[in-house]
Amino acid sequence: MPAEPFAIPEATTAPIPVGQAAPPTPGFEVQLEVFSGPLGVLLHLIESRQLDILTVPLADLADGYVAHLATNPVDTRQLSEFVAIAAQLILLKSRSLLPGEVPAAITDGSEEPDEGELRRRLLEYRAVRDLARALGLRDLAAPMQRREPRESDLPSAPVIPLPPAQLAQAMAGLAAIPEPEAPPPEVVAREITLAMQIAVLQAAMAVGGRVVLQQLLAACRSRTELTVTLLATLELVRRRQVRVEQRELFGPIILESTA
Amino acid sequence: MSTSDDLAAFYEAVLFIAERPLTGAELAELGRVPRLQAEATLANLAEQLAEDGRGIRLQRLDDAWQLATAPEVGERLATYAARDEPRLTPAALEALAVVAYRQPCTRGEVDRLRGVDSDYVLRSLLHRRLVVEVGRRDTPGRPILYGTTFAFLERFGLTSLDDLPSSPAAADPEIGIDALPPLPAALAPEPVDAG
Repeated sequence: MPAEPFAIPEATTAPIPVGQAAPPTPGFEVQLEVFSGPLGVLLHLIESRQLDILTVPLADLADGYVAHLATNPVDTRQLSEFVAIAAQLILLKSRSLLPGEVPAAITDGSEEPDEGELRRRLLEYRAVRDLARALGLRDLAAPMQRREPRESDLPSAPVIPLPPAQLAQAMAGLAAIPEPEAPPPEVVAREITLAMQIAVLQAAMAVGGRVVLQQLLAACRSRTELTVTLLATLELVRRRQVRVEQRELFGPIILESTA
Repeated sequence: MSTSDDLAAFYEAVLFIAERPLTGAELAELGRVPRLQAEATLANLAEQLAEDGRGIRLQRLDDAWQLATAPEVGERLATYAARDEPRLTPAALEALAVVAYRQPCTRGEVDRLRGVDSDYVLRSLLHRRLVVEVGRRDTPGRPILYGTTFAFLERFGLTSLDDLPSSPAAADPEIGIDALPPLPAALAPEPVDAG
Protein backbone atom coordinates (compact mmCIF):
# COMPACT_ATOMS: atom_id res chain seq x y z
CA MET A 1 0.00 0.00 0.00
CA PRO A 2 1.63 3.24 -1.10
CA ALA A 3 0.30 5.29 1.84
CA GLU A 4 2.21 3.26 4.42
CA PRO A 5 5.48 2.22 2.83
CA PHE A 6 6.91 0.97 6.12
CA ALA A 7 3.93 -1.00 7.32
CA ILE A 8 4.72 -4.63 7.90
CA PRO A 9 2.29 -6.63 5.84
CA GLU A 10 0.43 -9.30 7.71
CA ALA A 11 -0.61 -11.69 5.06
CA THR A 12 -3.63 -13.15 6.74
CA THR A 13 -5.17 -9.99 8.15
CA ALA A 14 -4.35 -7.34 5.61
CA PRO A 15 -7.36 -6.07 3.69
CA ILE A 16 -7.69 -7.34 0.17
CA PRO A 17 -6.42 -4.67 -2.21
CA VAL A 18 -9.19 -3.89 -4.59
CA GLY A 19 -8.87 -2.18 -7.91
CA GLN A 20 -8.20 -2.61 -11.57
CA ALA A 21 -4.96 -4.32 -12.41
CA ALA A 22 -2.57 -1.43 -12.84
CA PRO A 23 -1.50 -0.71 -16.44
CA PRO A 24 2.18 -1.37 -17.01
CA THR A 25 4.24 1.71 -16.25
CA PRO A 26 6.23 2.72 -19.31
CA GLY A 27 9.95 2.36 -18.85
CA PHE A 28 9.63 0.11 -15.84
CA GLU A 29 7.82 -3.09 -16.62
CA VAL A 30 7.46 -5.94 -14.21
CA GLN A 31 6.19 -9.15 -15.69
CA LEU A 32 3.65 -10.53 -13.27
CA GLU A 33 1.45 -13.49 -13.93
CA VAL A 34 -2.04 -12.14 -14.38
CA PHE A 35 -4.78 -14.36 -13.06
CA SER A 36 -8.14 -13.99 -14.64
CA GLY A 37 -9.98 -15.69 -11.80
CA PRO A 38 -9.74 -17.53 -8.49
CA LEU A 39 -9.26 -20.90 -10.17
CA GLY A 40 -6.23 -19.48 -11.95
CA VAL A 41 -4.68 -18.50 -8.61
CA LEU A 42 -5.41 -21.90 -7.10
CA LEU A 43 -3.96 -23.70 -10.11
CA HIS A 44 -0.86 -21.53 -9.95
CA LEU A 45 -0.38 -22.44 -6.26
CA ILE A 46 -0.62 -26.15 -7.10
CA GLU A 47 1.60 -26.00 -10.16
CA SER A 48 4.27 -23.76 -8.63
CA ARG A 49 4.66 -26.38 -5.89
CA GLN A 50 4.62 -29.18 -8.45
CA LEU A 51 1.69 -30.87 -6.78
CA ASP A 52 -0.96 -33.05 -8.37
CA ILE A 53 -4.48 -31.67 -8.61
CA LEU A 54 -5.90 -35.10 -7.94
CA THR A 55 -4.03 -35.79 -4.70
CA VAL A 56 -3.08 -32.48 -3.08
CA PRO A 57 -5.20 -31.78 0.03
CA LEU A 58 -6.84 -28.55 -1.08
CA ALA A 59 -7.15 -27.46 2.56
CA ASP A 60 -3.36 -27.05 2.60
CA LEU A 61 -3.67 -24.34 -0.03
CA ALA A 62 -5.90 -22.09 2.07
CA ASP A 63 -3.04 -20.08 3.59
CA GLY A 64 -1.27 -19.61 0.30
CA TYR A 65 -4.47 -18.55 -1.43
CA VAL A 66 -5.42 -16.01 1.24
CA ALA A 67 -1.86 -14.66 1.26
CA HIS A 68 -2.01 -14.23 -2.48
CA LEU A 69 -5.35 -12.46 -2.21
CA ALA A 70 -3.95 -10.13 0.45
CA THR A 71 -0.99 -9.05 -1.63
CA ASN A 72 -2.37 -8.85 -5.16
CA PRO A 73 -4.97 -6.49 -6.56
CA VAL A 74 -8.26 -8.05 -7.54
CA ASP A 75 -10.75 -6.73 -10.03
CA THR A 76 -13.64 -5.34 -7.97
CA ARG A 77 -16.21 -6.98 -10.19
CA GLN A 78 -14.76 -10.39 -9.46
CA LEU A 79 -14.04 -9.94 -5.77
CA SER A 80 -16.97 -12.08 -4.62
CA GLU A 81 -15.80 -15.08 -6.65
CA PHE A 82 -12.29 -14.78 -5.22
CA VAL A 83 -13.67 -14.55 -1.69
CA ALA A 84 -16.04 -17.48 -2.26
CA ILE A 85 -13.15 -19.79 -3.12
CA ALA A 86 -11.23 -18.49 -0.10
CA ALA A 87 -14.20 -19.34 2.14
CA GLN A 88 -14.41 -22.84 0.67
CA LEU A 89 -10.72 -23.45 1.29
CA ILE A 90 -10.88 -22.16 4.83
CA LEU A 91 -13.85 -24.37 5.58
CA LEU A 92 -12.02 -27.39 4.14
CA LYS A 93 -9.03 -26.52 6.27
CA SER A 94 -11.06 -26.10 9.47
CA ARG A 95 -12.73 -29.42 8.80
CA SER A 96 -9.36 -31.12 8.37
CA LEU A 97 -8.23 -29.70 11.72
CA LEU A 98 -11.13 -31.23 13.61
CA PRO A 99 -10.12 -34.29 15.61
CA GLY A 100 -11.89 -37.54 15.09
CA GLU A 101 -14.12 -38.45 12.26
CA VAL A 102 -14.53 -36.01 9.45
CA PRO A 103 -18.19 -35.10 9.09
CA ALA A 104 -19.51 -36.05 5.70
CA ALA A 105 -20.19 -33.21 3.34
CA ILE A 106 -23.81 -32.21 3.03
CA THR A 107 -25.13 -33.24 -0.32
CA ASP A 108 -28.47 -31.51 -0.42
CA GLY A 109 -27.49 -29.30 -3.27
CA SER A 110 -26.56 -26.41 -1.03
CA GLU A 111 -23.42 -24.35 -1.49
CA GLU A 112 -21.49 -26.61 0.87
CA PRO A 113 -17.94 -26.82 -0.48
CA ASP A 114 -16.96 -30.21 -1.72
CA GLU A 115 -13.31 -31.03 -2.29
CA GLY A 116 -14.05 -33.39 -5.17
CA GLU A 117 -16.16 -30.79 -6.92
CA LEU A 118 -13.44 -28.18 -6.52
CA ARG A 119 -10.87 -30.59 -7.97
CA ARG A 120 -13.15 -31.25 -10.90
CA ARG A 121 -13.53 -27.54 -11.52
CA LEU A 122 -9.75 -27.12 -11.35
CA LEU A 123 -9.23 -29.84 -13.94
CA GLU A 124 -11.83 -28.29 -16.20
CA TYR A 125 -10.33 -24.87 -15.75
CA ARG A 126 -6.84 -26.18 -16.51
CA ALA A 127 -8.12 -27.54 -19.80
CA VAL A 128 -9.68 -24.18 -20.65
CA ARG A 129 -6.57 -22.28 -19.64
CA ASP A 130 -4.30 -24.49 -21.74
CA LEU A 131 -6.60 -24.12 -24.73
CA ALA A 132 -6.64 -20.37 -24.20
CA ARG A 133 -2.83 -20.35 -24.18
CA ALA A 134 -2.69 -22.39 -27.36
CA LEU A 135 -5.16 -19.99 -28.98
CA GLY A 136 -3.18 -17.02 -27.68
CA LEU A 137 -0.10 -18.21 -29.55
CA ARG A 138 -2.11 -17.97 -32.77
CA ASP A 139 -3.70 -14.61 -31.94
CA LEU A 140 -2.86 -12.31 -34.85
CA ALA A 141 0.21 -14.47 -35.59
CA ALA A 142 -0.91 -15.14 -39.15
CA PRO A 143 -4.25 -13.49 -39.72
CA MET A 144 -6.17 -14.30 -42.86
CA GLN A 145 -7.82 -11.40 -44.59
CA ARG A 146 -10.95 -11.19 -46.61
CA ARG A 147 -10.96 -9.19 -49.79
CA GLU A 148 -13.44 -6.35 -49.66
CA PRO A 149 -15.40 -6.29 -52.90
CA ARG A 150 -15.13 -3.18 -55.03
CA GLU A 151 -17.36 -1.65 -57.61
CA SER A 152 -15.21 -2.79 -60.51
CA ASP A 153 -15.89 -6.42 -59.58
CA LEU A 154 -19.50 -6.22 -60.55
CA PRO A 155 -20.21 -6.74 -64.19
CA SER A 156 -21.70 -3.55 -65.63
CA ALA A 157 -25.06 -3.59 -67.39
CA PRO A 158 -24.89 -3.91 -71.17
CA VAL A 159 -24.90 -0.51 -72.86
CA ILE A 160 -27.72 0.13 -75.38
CA PRO A 161 -27.04 3.14 -77.61
CA LEU A 162 -29.70 5.84 -77.29
CA PRO A 163 -30.79 8.10 -80.17
CA PRO A 164 -29.57 11.68 -79.53
CA ALA A 165 -33.03 12.91 -80.56
CA GLN A 166 -34.20 11.77 -77.14
CA LEU A 167 -32.01 14.40 -75.53
CA ALA A 168 -33.49 17.17 -77.68
CA GLN A 169 -36.96 15.91 -76.90
CA ALA A 170 -36.25 15.96 -73.19
CA MET A 171 -34.89 19.51 -73.48
CA ALA A 172 -38.03 20.62 -75.35
CA GLY A 173 -40.14 19.08 -72.61
CA LEU A 174 -38.22 21.04 -70.01
CA ALA A 175 -38.67 24.29 -71.93
CA ALA A 176 -42.44 23.77 -71.95
CA ILE A 177 -42.53 23.91 -68.16
CA PRO A 178 -43.10 27.54 -67.04
CA GLU A 179 -40.41 29.16 -64.92
CA PRO A 180 -41.26 28.90 -61.25
CA GLU A 181 -42.42 32.12 -59.64
CA ALA A 182 -39.91 33.89 -57.45
CA PRO A 183 -40.49 32.95 -53.83
CA PRO A 184 -41.94 35.65 -51.56
CA PRO A 185 -39.30 37.58 -49.65
CA GLU A 186 -38.46 35.88 -46.43
CA VAL A 187 -38.98 37.69 -43.18
CA VAL A 188 -35.84 37.49 -41.14
CA ALA A 189 -35.66 38.60 -37.56
CA ARG A 190 -33.29 41.51 -37.08
CA GLU A 191 -30.15 40.28 -35.56
CA ILE A 192 -28.25 42.27 -33.03
CA THR A 193 -24.78 41.06 -32.28
CA LEU A 194 -22.38 41.82 -29.52
CA ALA A 195 -19.95 43.30 -32.05
CA MET A 196 -22.63 45.65 -33.35
CA GLN A 197 -23.41 47.00 -29.89
CA ILE A 198 -19.73 47.30 -29.01
CA ALA A 199 -19.37 49.44 -32.11
CA VAL A 200 -22.34 51.57 -30.94
CA LEU A 201 -20.78 52.04 -27.53
CA GLN A 202 -17.40 52.91 -28.95
CA ALA A 203 -18.96 55.38 -31.36
CA ALA A 204 -20.84 57.03 -28.49
CA MET A 205 -17.70 57.31 -26.40
CA ALA A 206 -15.64 58.57 -29.29
CA VAL A 207 -17.60 61.83 -29.18
CA GLY A 208 -17.14 62.97 -25.60
CA GLY A 209 -14.94 60.25 -24.17
CA ARG A 210 -17.70 59.33 -21.72
CA VAL A 211 -21.32 58.41 -21.91
CA VAL A 212 -24.21 57.62 -19.54
CA LEU A 213 -25.34 54.02 -19.93
CA GLN A 214 -29.00 54.73 -19.10
CA GLN A 215 -29.22 57.20 -22.01
CA LEU A 216 -27.91 54.58 -24.40
CA LEU A 217 -30.32 51.98 -23.09
CA ALA A 218 -33.23 54.41 -23.39
CA ALA A 219 -32.50 54.67 -27.10
CA CYS A 220 -32.83 50.90 -27.59
CA ARG A 221 -35.87 49.71 -29.52
CA SER A 222 -36.22 46.14 -28.30
CA ARG A 223 -35.54 43.96 -25.32
CA THR A 224 -32.91 42.06 -27.30
CA GLU A 225 -31.13 45.25 -28.15
CA LEU A 226 -31.19 46.27 -24.47
CA THR A 227 -29.75 42.98 -23.38
CA VAL A 228 -27.03 42.90 -26.00
CA THR A 229 -26.06 46.48 -25.24
CA LEU A 230 -25.68 45.61 -21.58
CA LEU A 231 -23.63 42.53 -22.48
CA ALA A 232 -21.48 44.66 -24.80
CA THR A 233 -20.82 47.00 -21.89
CA LEU A 234 -19.76 44.10 -19.70
CA GLU A 235 -17.56 42.75 -22.50
CA LEU A 236 -15.78 46.11 -22.81
CA VAL A 237 -15.29 46.17 -19.03
CA ARG A 238 -13.82 42.72 -19.21
CA ARG A 239 -11.47 43.83 -21.95
CA ARG A 240 -10.59 46.83 -19.80
CA GLN A 241 -11.51 49.18 -22.61
CA VAL A 242 -13.95 51.15 -20.44
CA ARG A 243 -14.14 52.24 -16.87
CA VAL A 244 -17.57 52.18 -15.23
CA GLU A 245 -18.59 54.50 -12.44
CA GLN A 246 -21.77 54.96 -10.45
CA ARG A 247 -21.68 57.54 -7.68
CA GLU A 248 -24.97 56.70 -5.97
CA LEU A 249 -27.51 53.90 -5.89
CA PHE A 250 -29.68 53.97 -9.05
CA GLY A 251 -27.71 56.98 -10.20
CA PRO A 252 -26.32 57.42 -13.71
CA ILE A 253 -23.77 54.78 -14.79
CA ILE A 254 -20.96 56.54 -16.52
CA LEU A 255 -18.80 54.71 -19.05
CA GLU A 256 -15.44 56.19 -19.75
CA SER A 257 -13.08 55.03 -22.43
CA THR A 258 -9.68 53.97 -21.13
CA ALA A 259 -8.08 54.50 -24.49
CA MET B 1 -11.03 -28.49 -69.05
CA SER B 2 -13.53 -30.80 -67.43
CA THR B 3 -16.83 -29.56 -66.11
CA SER B 4 -15.76 -30.00 -62.49
CA ASP B 5 -12.70 -27.81 -63.09
CA ASP B 6 -15.06 -25.40 -64.75
CA LEU B 7 -17.30 -25.36 -61.71
CA ALA B 8 -14.34 -24.90 -59.36
CA ALA B 9 -13.13 -21.94 -61.42
CA PHE B 10 -16.63 -20.47 -61.37
CA TYR B 11 -16.87 -20.81 -57.60
CA GLU B 12 -13.44 -19.28 -57.15
CA ALA B 13 -14.57 -16.27 -59.19
CA VAL B 14 -17.95 -15.93 -57.49
CA LEU B 15 -16.39 -16.06 -54.03
CA PHE B 16 -13.79 -13.56 -55.22
CA ILE B 17 -16.45 -10.94 -55.97
CA ALA B 18 -18.95 -11.93 -53.28
CA GLU B 19 -19.58 -9.21 -50.74
CA ARG B 20 -20.32 -11.77 -48.01
CA PRO B 21 -19.74 -15.46 -47.29
CA LEU B 22 -21.98 -17.63 -49.49
CA THR B 23 -23.83 -20.69 -48.26
CA GLY B 24 -23.62 -24.13 -49.82
CA ALA B 25 -27.23 -23.81 -51.01
CA GLU B 26 -26.56 -20.48 -52.72
CA LEU B 27 -23.46 -21.82 -54.41
CA ALA B 28 -25.32 -24.93 -55.59
CA GLU B 29 -28.01 -22.73 -57.11
CA LEU B 30 -25.47 -20.42 -58.75
CA GLY B 31 -23.63 -23.38 -60.22
CA ARG B 32 -26.89 -25.09 -61.20
CA VAL B 33 -25.71 -28.34 -59.67
CA PRO B 34 -26.97 -30.50 -56.81
CA ARG B 35 -25.96 -29.41 -53.34
CA LEU B 36 -23.69 -32.40 -52.79
CA GLN B 37 -21.77 -31.75 -55.99
CA ALA B 38 -21.34 -28.10 -55.08
CA GLU B 39 -19.98 -28.98 -51.68
CA ALA B 40 -17.64 -31.64 -53.02
CA THR B 41 -16.29 -29.15 -55.55
CA LEU B 42 -15.80 -26.50 -52.85
CA ALA B 43 -14.04 -28.92 -50.52
CA ASN B 44 -11.84 -29.96 -53.43
CA LEU B 45 -11.08 -26.34 -54.26
CA ALA B 46 -10.18 -25.63 -50.64
CA GLU B 47 -7.83 -28.58 -50.60
CA GLN B 48 -6.26 -27.60 -53.91
CA LEU B 49 -5.60 -24.02 -52.81
CA ALA B 50 -3.88 -25.28 -49.67
CA GLU B 51 -1.90 -28.02 -51.43
CA ASP B 52 -0.63 -25.79 -54.20
CA GLY B 53 0.56 -23.29 -51.60
CA ARG B 54 -1.49 -20.51 -53.16
CA GLY B 55 -1.82 -17.04 -51.66
CA ILE B 56 -5.49 -17.50 -50.95
CA ARG B 57 -7.50 -20.08 -49.06
CA LEU B 58 -11.11 -21.11 -48.97
CA GLN B 59 -12.52 -20.69 -45.46
CA ARG B 60 -15.57 -22.54 -44.22
CA LEU B 61 -17.72 -21.78 -41.19
CA ASP B 62 -20.81 -23.91 -40.66
CA ASP B 63 -22.36 -23.92 -44.10
CA ALA B 64 -20.79 -20.72 -45.44
CA TRP B 65 -17.69 -20.24 -47.58
CA GLN B 66 -15.40 -17.31 -48.25
CA LEU B 67 -12.01 -16.65 -49.78
CA ALA B 68 -9.27 -15.24 -47.58
CA THR B 69 -5.54 -14.71 -47.73
CA ALA B 70 -3.33 -17.61 -46.70
CA PRO B 71 -2.05 -17.56 -43.13
CA GLU B 72 1.47 -18.16 -44.47
CA VAL B 73 1.58 -14.69 -45.97
CA GLY B 74 -0.27 -13.03 -43.08
CA GLU B 75 2.81 -11.64 -41.44
CA ARG B 76 4.17 -10.05 -44.62
CA LEU B 77 0.70 -8.79 -45.53
CA ALA B 78 0.57 -6.86 -42.29
CA THR B 79 2.87 -4.27 -43.83
CA TYR B 80 0.24 -3.58 -46.48
CA ALA B 81 -2.92 -3.97 -44.43
CA ALA B 82 -1.62 -2.24 -41.33
CA ARG B 83 -3.27 -4.05 -38.47
CA ASP B 84 -2.17 -2.88 -35.07
CA GLU B 85 -4.84 -4.45 -32.96
CA PRO B 86 -3.88 -5.31 -29.42
CA ARG B 87 -3.58 -8.97 -28.49
CA LEU B 88 -6.44 -10.47 -26.51
CA THR B 89 -6.08 -10.64 -22.75
CA PRO B 90 -5.76 -14.01 -20.98
CA ALA B 91 -9.32 -13.58 -19.68
CA ALA B 92 -10.69 -12.89 -23.15
CA LEU B 93 -8.76 -15.84 -24.56
CA GLU B 94 -10.23 -18.15 -21.93
CA ALA B 95 -13.76 -17.08 -22.69
CA LEU B 96 -13.08 -17.32 -26.42
CA ALA B 97 -11.58 -20.80 -25.98
CA VAL B 98 -14.70 -22.01 -24.18
CA VAL B 99 -16.96 -20.62 -26.90
CA ALA B 100 -14.75 -21.92 -29.71
CA TYR B 101 -14.44 -25.46 -28.40
CA ARG B 102 -17.93 -25.88 -26.92
CA GLN B 103 -20.05 -23.88 -29.33
CA PRO B 104 -22.86 -23.26 -29.26
CA CYS B 105 -22.63 -22.47 -25.56
CA THR B 106 -24.16 -20.10 -23.05
CA ARG B 107 -22.59 -17.45 -20.88
CA GLY B 108 -23.39 -19.62 -17.87
CA GLU B 109 -21.10 -22.33 -19.21
CA VAL B 110 -18.30 -19.82 -19.73
CA ASP B 111 -18.81 -18.48 -16.20
CA ARG B 112 -18.81 -21.95 -14.68
CA LEU B 113 -15.70 -23.19 -16.46
CA ARG B 114 -13.74 -20.02 -15.75
CA GLY B 115 -15.00 -19.70 -12.18
CA VAL B 116 -15.65 -15.98 -12.62
CA ASP B 117 -18.27 -13.73 -14.08
CA SER B 118 -17.58 -13.44 -17.81
CA ASP B 119 -20.16 -10.85 -18.77
CA TYR B 120 -17.59 -8.17 -19.49
CA VAL B 121 -15.13 -10.28 -21.50
CA LEU B 122 -17.94 -11.88 -23.47
CA ARG B 123 -19.30 -8.45 -24.37
CA SER B 124 -15.87 -7.34 -25.52
CA LEU B 125 -15.68 -10.45 -27.72
CA LEU B 126 -19.11 -9.65 -29.14
CA HIS B 127 -17.99 -6.10 -29.77
CA ARG B 128 -14.93 -7.33 -31.67
CA ARG B 129 -17.24 -9.63 -33.63
CA LEU B 130 -15.21 -12.68 -32.66
CA VAL B 131 -18.35 -14.30 -31.27
CA VAL B 132 -22.02 -13.84 -32.11
CA GLU B 133 -25.37 -14.95 -30.82
CA VAL B 134 -26.37 -18.04 -32.75
CA GLY B 135 -29.70 -18.77 -31.09
CA ARG B 136 -31.24 -19.66 -27.78
CA ARG B 137 -31.21 -22.88 -25.82
CA ASP B 138 -34.56 -24.48 -25.16
CA THR B 139 -34.14 -24.54 -21.40
CA PRO B 140 -35.71 -22.35 -18.71
CA GLY B 141 -34.75 -18.75 -19.28
CA ARG B 142 -33.95 -19.52 -22.89
CA PRO B 143 -30.29 -18.46 -22.48
CA ILE B 144 -28.48 -16.99 -25.47
CA LEU B 145 -26.16 -19.36 -27.30
CA TYR B 146 -22.85 -18.06 -28.61
CA GLY B 147 -20.64 -19.25 -31.44
CA THR B 148 -17.53 -18.02 -33.22
CA THR B 149 -17.44 -16.03 -36.46
CA PHE B 150 -15.48 -15.69 -39.67
CA ALA B 151 -13.64 -12.81 -37.98
CA PHE B 152 -12.48 -15.36 -35.39
CA LEU B 153 -11.18 -17.71 -38.10
CA GLU B 154 -9.48 -14.80 -39.88
CA ARG B 155 -7.83 -13.48 -36.76
CA PHE B 156 -6.41 -16.84 -35.74
CA GLY B 157 -5.44 -17.90 -39.26
CA LEU B 158 -7.82 -20.86 -39.36
CA THR B 159 -9.40 -22.29 -42.49
CA SER B 160 -12.19 -23.91 -40.49
CA LEU B 161 -12.99 -24.91 -36.92
CA ASP B 162 -11.41 -28.28 -37.62
CA ASP B 163 -8.05 -26.45 -37.66
CA LEU B 164 -8.37 -25.36 -34.03
CA PRO B 165 -5.31 -26.41 -32.05
CA SER B 166 -6.15 -29.62 -30.29
CA SER B 167 -5.71 -29.76 -26.58
CA PRO B 168 -3.75 -32.46 -24.79
CA ALA B 169 -5.97 -31.82 -21.78
CA ALA B 170 -9.11 -32.50 -23.75
CA ALA B 171 -7.78 -35.93 -24.62
CA ASP B 172 -6.72 -36.66 -21.04
CA PRO B 173 -8.85 -39.59 -19.85
CA GLU B 174 -8.14 -38.64 -16.24
CA ILE B 175 -10.33 -35.63 -16.56
CA GLY B 176 -13.21 -37.91 -17.34
CA ILE B 177 -15.52 -35.01 -17.82
CA ASP B 178 -17.41 -33.55 -20.67
CA ALA B 179 -15.13 -30.55 -20.46
CA LEU B 180 -14.26 -30.28 -24.08
CA PRO B 181 -16.12 -32.47 -26.52
CA PRO B 182 -14.34 -33.12 -29.79
CA LEU B 183 -15.07 -30.95 -32.76
CA PRO B 184 -16.64 -30.26 -35.16
CA ALA B 185 -18.88 -28.36 -32.85
CA ALA B 186 -20.67 -26.90 -35.82
CA LEU B 187 -22.22 -30.30 -36.39
CA ALA B 188 -23.03 -30.99 -32.74
CA PRO B 189 -26.71 -31.92 -32.41
CA GLU B 190 -27.42 -29.14 -29.96
CA PRO B 191 -31.09 -28.21 -29.67
CA VAL B 192 -30.78 -24.78 -31.19
CA ASP B 193 -33.80 -22.64 -31.66
CA ALA B 194 -32.76 -20.00 -34.12
CA GLY B 195 -35.71 -17.76 -33.19
